[in-house]
Amino acid sequence: MLNVREILKTFNLGTINQKIALNKLSLELFPNDFVTVIGSNGAGKSTLLNAIAGNFFVDSGKIAIENADITRLPAHKRADMISRVFQDPLSGTAASMTIEENLIMAYRRGKTRRLRPAIGAKERDIFRAKLEKLGLGLENRLTHRVSLLSGGQRQALTLLMATLQKPKLLLLDEHTAALDPKTAEKVLELTCNVTEQEHLTTLMITHNLDHALTFGNRTIMMHEGRVILDIKGTERNNMTISNLLQMFEKASGAHMNTDRMILA
Amino acid sequence: MFSQIALGTMEQGLMYAIMVLGVYLTYRILDYADLSVDGSFTLGAATATSMIVGGTDPWLATGMAFIAGTLAGLFTGILHTKFKITPLLSGILTMTALYSINLRVMGRANISLLGSRTVFTDFAKLPFMEEYGVFVLCLISVVCLGSVIYFFLQTELGLALRATGDNELMIRSLGVNTDLMKILGLSLSNGLVAFAGSYVAQKVQFADASMGIGMIIAGLASVIIGEVLIGTSSIGRAILAVICGGVIYRVIIAVVLQLGLEATDLKLITAFIVIIALVSPNIRRSLSSLLKGVQGKEAQ
Repeated sequence: MLNVREILKTFNLGTINQKIALNKLSLELFPNDFVTVIGSNGAGKSTLLNAIAGNFFVDSGKIAIENADITRLPAHKRADMISRVFQDPLSGTAASMTIEENLIMAYRRGKTRRLRPAIGAKERDIFRAKLEKLGLGLENRLTHRVSLLSGGQRQALTLLMATLQKPKLLLLDEHTAALDPKTAEKVLELTCNVTEQEHLTTLMITHNLDHALTFGNRTIMMHEGRVILDIKGTERNNMTISNLLQMFEKASGAHMNTDRMILA
Repeated sequence: MFSQIALGTMEQGLMYAIMVLGVYLTYRILDYADLSVDGSFTLGAATATSMIVGGTDPWLATGMAFIAGTLAGLFTGILHTKFKITPLLSGILTMTALYSINLRVMGRANISLLGSRTVFTDFAKLPFMEEYGVFVLCLISVVCLGSVIYFFLQTELGLALRATGDNELMIRSLGVNTDLMKILGLSLSNGLVAFAGSYVAQKVQFADASMGIGMIIAGLASVIIGEVLIGTSSIGRAILAVICGGVIYRVIIAVVLQLGLEATDLKLITAFIVIIALVSPNIRRSLSSLLKGVQGKEAQ
C-alpha cells in the first residue's frame, strides 16, 4: 500500500544546526493497516508525515503508494491519495469560511476546481447527514463560519473533511493532543469509527502510550529518524506500557520523556 | 452648483469603487498587500488613452486596459510565487517597472483626450443619458463587476482562492495549487484596477504618468472605511461594503476640499485615514486592558 524506502532528510544542511531528521527510514504499510507512531520529541515522527504528504521533497530514497512513485510529486498533486489532520485545530479548516464551504472544498479534494457554483442542494444533504453522525449539532449550522466553533468541533470537522472523499492513506499528526481529555476521547472514537467503516489505511502519531497500544493493529516506535520497533499481532497484544518503555531504552540507549508520555 | 459637485463626486466614487474591488481581492481575499496597484492604475489609463488617440474604439481600448492590468498582476504573481520574492517587494518591483512602461506606452508624460470619443461620450448619446450618462455607466459597471466577483467567489475556483488567503497549508493539502491561485487573484485584481484607471482617464479626458501614485493607500482606506461602516458578515455584504467604502472615501475627500484644504494635501489626509483605521483596534485593546487593570486594583 504505502512503501517508504530508505528516505533521508537533512535540515539546515552544512550549517551549525544541521540535523538528520529522517535517517534512511523504511516503512511498509499494508491495506487497512492502522499504525500508531510513537517516539520522543525530535524523533522525526512529524517529519515522516510531512515527507509522505509532500510538504518537502526527501534528499534520497523513494516513496510509493500502491506502486505509484510519488517521491517527486508536489503536495497538491498527492492530495487525491492522502488526507491529513494536523495537531493544531486551527490549521485544518479555513476560519473565515462557512462549515459547508469548508466541507465542499474537502469534498472536491484532489479534483479540478471548476468555474461553477460550488454548493448545491445535493451536497448540502450529504453534508447534513455526515455532520449528524458526529453528534455535535453542526448539521444545523452549515452556513456558520468555522471561526465560531470550538477547538474540538473544528477538529471533528477536520476529521470529517479528511475522510469525506475516501483517501488511500489517512495521516493523523497528534490530532487530539491540543484538545481537552473528554473532547480528545470523542475525536478518537470518531477516528476509530470512520477508519473501520471506510477501511482506511491510517498512520497516527500519538504521545499517549496507552492509545498507541489500544488503537489500531500495529505500533512503530521512532528514534533519531529511524524506526526502532515495529510490533503487531500477539506481541503487541501482550505489550504493556512499562514493557514498551523498557524496549525503548534498550533499543535507543536513551530515556524516554516518560512524564509526558504517560500523562499525555 | 452643489448638485454638480455631488454628481461629480458620486461618479468619481463609483469609478474608484472598481479599483477598490481589485484591492479588496488581494488585500482581503488573498491577504496580500499588493503595491503594484499604483502602477497598474496608470497602466490602464495609459493603455486606454494612447489607444483611443491612436484611433482604436474606446470600448475595445477599455477592454485592453483590463488585459494590460492582468498582465501586470501576472508579473507580480510570478515574482512572488516562482521566485519567492516577498509580497511587498514583488509589488514594489512591478510598480517601479510599470512607471517606465507607462511612459513608453504613452510616449510622453501625459496625454489629453480633449475632443476624443470615449466610452462616456458614446454612452451620453443614448436617450436620456446626456446629463447622467457618466453616473449611469459607472453605476452599471460597478454593479456588474461587483456581481461577477460575488458569484465568482462562490464557485469552486472562488472558494479555492478564498481558502488560499485564509489557510494556505490546508487548501494545498486538499489539492489546490496555491501558487496558481495567487497569480489568478493578482491578475484579476490588477485588471480591475487598470479598468478603473481607464475609466478615470476617459472621464477627466487626461492621462498622466503619476496619476496612480498613492492609489493603493486610497484603496486600503476605502476597504477599511467600508468594512467599518457596513460590516463583513458575508461575502455579499463585504463586497457591498467595499463599493460603498470607495464612494464614501471620495465623499470625504470632496468635503475636505470644500473645507478649503489644497488638493495637494489629499495624500496626507488619505495616509492619516489609513493610519487611524489600522491603529484604532490596538488603541481600543490597550485602553480596555488598561481599564481592566484599574478594576483589578480596585478589587484588591
